[in-house]
Amino acid sequence: MTRHLLTAAILGGFVILLVACAEMLGIRVFDRIATNLCISLILVLGLQVFMGNSGILSFAHIGFMGVGAYTSAVLTIPLQMKGMALPELYLVFKGVQLSPYLAIPIAGLVAAAVAAALSYPLMRLSDAAAVITSFALLVVLHTVMTNWSNVTNGPRTLFGVPRATDLTLAAGVAIAALLGALAFKESRTGRLLRASRDDEVAAGALGLHIPHLRWRAFVLAALFAGIGGALWGHFITSFSPNAFYLRETFVILGMLVIGGANTVTGAVVGTFIVTGAFEGLRSLEGSLNSAKIFSEQVIGLTEVVLALAMIAVLILRPGGLFPSREIGAIIVRALSKRERST
Amino acid sequence: MLELTDVEVRYGAIRAVRGISLKAEKGELVALLGANGAGKTSTLMCIAGALKAAAGTIRLDGRDVTSATPEAMVRNGVATVTETRDVFPDLTVAENLTLGSYIRRSDRAGVAEDREKMFALFPRLAERYGQPAGTLSGGEQQMLVIARAILSRPRILLLDEPSLGLAPVIVDQIFEMIGVLKRSGLTIVLVEQNAAKALAVADRAYVMRLGRIAASGSAAEIGATTDLGALYLGG
Amino acid sequence: MTFALQFTIDVLSLGGAYALMALGLVIVYGILKLVNFAYGELIMVTGYTLFLMGGSGLPWLVMAAVAVAMAVVTGVLTDYIAFRPVRAKSITAVLITSFAFSTLLQNAALLFISPRPRNVPLPALFSQTVEIAGVITPVRNLVTIAAAVVLLAVFAWAMRRTVLGIAMRAAATNFTMARMLGIPANLIISSAFAISGLLAGVVGILWIGRIGSVVPGIGSEPLLVAFIATVIGGMRSLEGAVLGGFLLALIDTSLNYLLSQELLKFRDAFTFGLVILILLWRPEGLLKGPATGQRT
Repeated sequence: MTRHLLTAAILGGFVILLVACAEMLGIRVFDRIATNLCISLILVLGLQVFMGNSGILSFAHIGFMGVGAYTSAVLTIPLQMKGMALPELYLVFKGVQLSPYLAIPIAGLVAAAVAAALSYPLMRLSDAAAVITSFALLVVLHTVMTNWSNVTNGPRTLFGVPRATDLTLAAGVAIAALLGALAFKESRTGRLLRASRDDEVAAGALGLHIPHLRWRAFVLAALFAGIGGALWGHFITSFSPNAFYLRETFVILGMLVIGGANTVTGAVVGTFIVTGAFEGLRSLEGSLNSAKIFSEQVIGLTEVVLALAMIAVLILRPGGLFPSREIGAIIVRALSKRERST
Repeated sequence: MLELTDVEVRYGAIRAVRGISLKAEKGELVALLGANGAGKTSTLMCIAGALKAAAGTIRLDGRDVTSATPEAMVRNGVATVTETRDVFPDLTVAENLTLGSYIRRSDRAGVAEDREKMFALFPRLAERYGQPAGTLSGGEQQMLVIARAILSRPRILLLDEPSLGLAPVIVDQIFEMIGVLKRSGLTIVLVEQNAAKALAVADRAYVMRLGRIAASGSAAEIGATTDLGALYLGG
Repeated sequence: MTFALQFTIDVLSLGGAYALMALGLVIVYGILKLVNFAYGELIMVTGYTLFLMGGSGLPWLVMAAVAVAMAVVTGVLTDYIAFRPVRAKSITAVLITSFAFSTLLQNAALLFISPRPRNVPLPALFSQTVEIAGVITPVRNLVTIAAAVVLLAVFAWAMRRTVLGIAMRAAATNFTMARMLGIPANLIISSAFAISGLLAGVVGILWIGRIGSVVPGIGSEPLLVAFIATVIGGMRSLEGAVLGGFLLALIDTSLNYLLSQELLKFRDAFTFGLVILILLWRPEGLLKGPATGQRT
């Protein structure tokens, strides 16, 4: 038990430290980066809940982020702006204007409900079929978002989403997500799911209904993604469906893989490292562009480096930086080893 | 010729083979007997290079081949007939045989000659030449995989349970065949459930129990001293 | 009658391209049981090679051949960079590295070339039209049909009549047994990636010939098409992939005629929804692949 509390305290400490730094520095850019980091963290933790416990790669995650972002947007865009922002909106929603703080949890629930309804039959697939269906699900969600102009304004940018997310809120939710991911990992479902990942046949023989266990993890992951998406929407205030597609999938997956998909610690560490590297590279890109060294705009450098880093990590350390043990467990082990040796 | 020293095979945390040593001299037929799960197949697959040895060494003519890949082992002269009788079901009999002589594909005349020999030995295969191997009966499939293995002109043949699930008549034919191969000077390591049959053709035998060698000796000694019934009940 | 001919030409030319795309994806899948997400980028590489040689003054066929060769090289590189180092570790790892390699190539194109479309040199043939029995159709459609027929025939011949082809079919059903006959694993895998590159290269030229220019994201649609066709056709059967390509072309072309403009926008949602349903019903794909021959 100590080690779980220790893990929670250390990882939560990271987030709190980040907020404290941002508050003390008081620089707007840093504040923005820290908020983005917390939102990414929620998404990465969500993906960890599913991938880390079930061992199945899911591409659909970011689709549910989109579901959350659009749900919250539709519920919160001020009445006087709705006509402009969503000219084709259904009549029912035209008179609705909720507080973002109410809409964000609703968005999470809607994403979870959509996931629950769509994914149940998918969960019995494994290996390549599971990956292709999750990929197909992402394409379906993306196509719907791009074309259902009644609620998403189609492929065009949706604007007028009220700004409601600040660093404190994002960090608070991120810590809650952290505790949720740790709790799920240690819950009965989480443990059984990991056992089934290691030996599907044996788990089946024990009478475990693996698809059902996976489904629970998937729905929880979608809840995280929906809330993360809604928070992001209320932070960025305008977005288009392309924000919820392969590029974002790649970034979130990269964070999780580099940190280590099997551990919550890995999810947190990966998010911090990749965000740090991303912002560094992006400012490098920016200064290269403003220095006009190259005739064309420098874009894509960040992704190239992240892609190389992902491949390198998977080759050299396939489990990521934290492949199997949480930080708390590592520290407890190290301490008890020292005690024994003295 | 073939020598295993303290070889271990693991599947994750399970040690299927726990340090066994055995030998096969040139031209010998060595039988590997034991109950289900004793580690016979794992040992054979480990020699073939399809399973990695976790410890110990495998030597072929004094050369260390412990970590050789399956394809390298074939080039070293070791051919394998697996327990699961792995024909390529949607390839024709002819195509299956073509792959058997894969490592000798530049020696066209030699391959053609060997192929004729195989058809003489197994006339059924000649009849079913253009048919997908998946449509053959169990006995015919067994003949096909043995013929396919022989076409690589091995010096050592690893045979895993050639009689498994076959009708007694077919089993007799298969063992007759094994006798022919042995007389041609081929070294054979035979894993077999049917201990009586195996001991009848073998020169020497090893009995495996729970991943270890429990007894070894000439076929006659093993036949006389070992309670074969108990052996297969795992006792 | 005219409509029937028009429709047939549309289906066959689109289907030919789709079939080649699907075949290129399934040849690797069949052997490794792994999806190569960087497959679409082979088409991108073909396009940019063609673009970069635009001013070289070489005959077009030479440029096209070099472009296809580059796709083959990139295909083999995919194996060395994204597959081989992680293949033994885990399926998920390989899927992620191939996804990362795809992103890498796309963004390298963004970084070193441009996010804007680049025109590729094409022979006049690609923009001409021809009239057959009252139907006016672009010559490139006929070129696509011809190329698909020739390539599929050569491919079928090679898989049945050459030792390497037979070995690849064997490896697709039982890789370990193939190795235990002395067939080198790496040779088979590299060949699969090379063939995949060859098919992608040819399809790339035909595909870009429709559009006339290349952008970094050009490979995503062919990848999705190959996915669907493969799933329809059965993920382990080469014949199935080809059939899947033509079936998808039939579905797509029919939907183009049948669906209203309003619903047509959702076409991808329909086809991918179909993919999910098919996989749920038959995780190995609609058409049955070869039996595994394993009886545990």
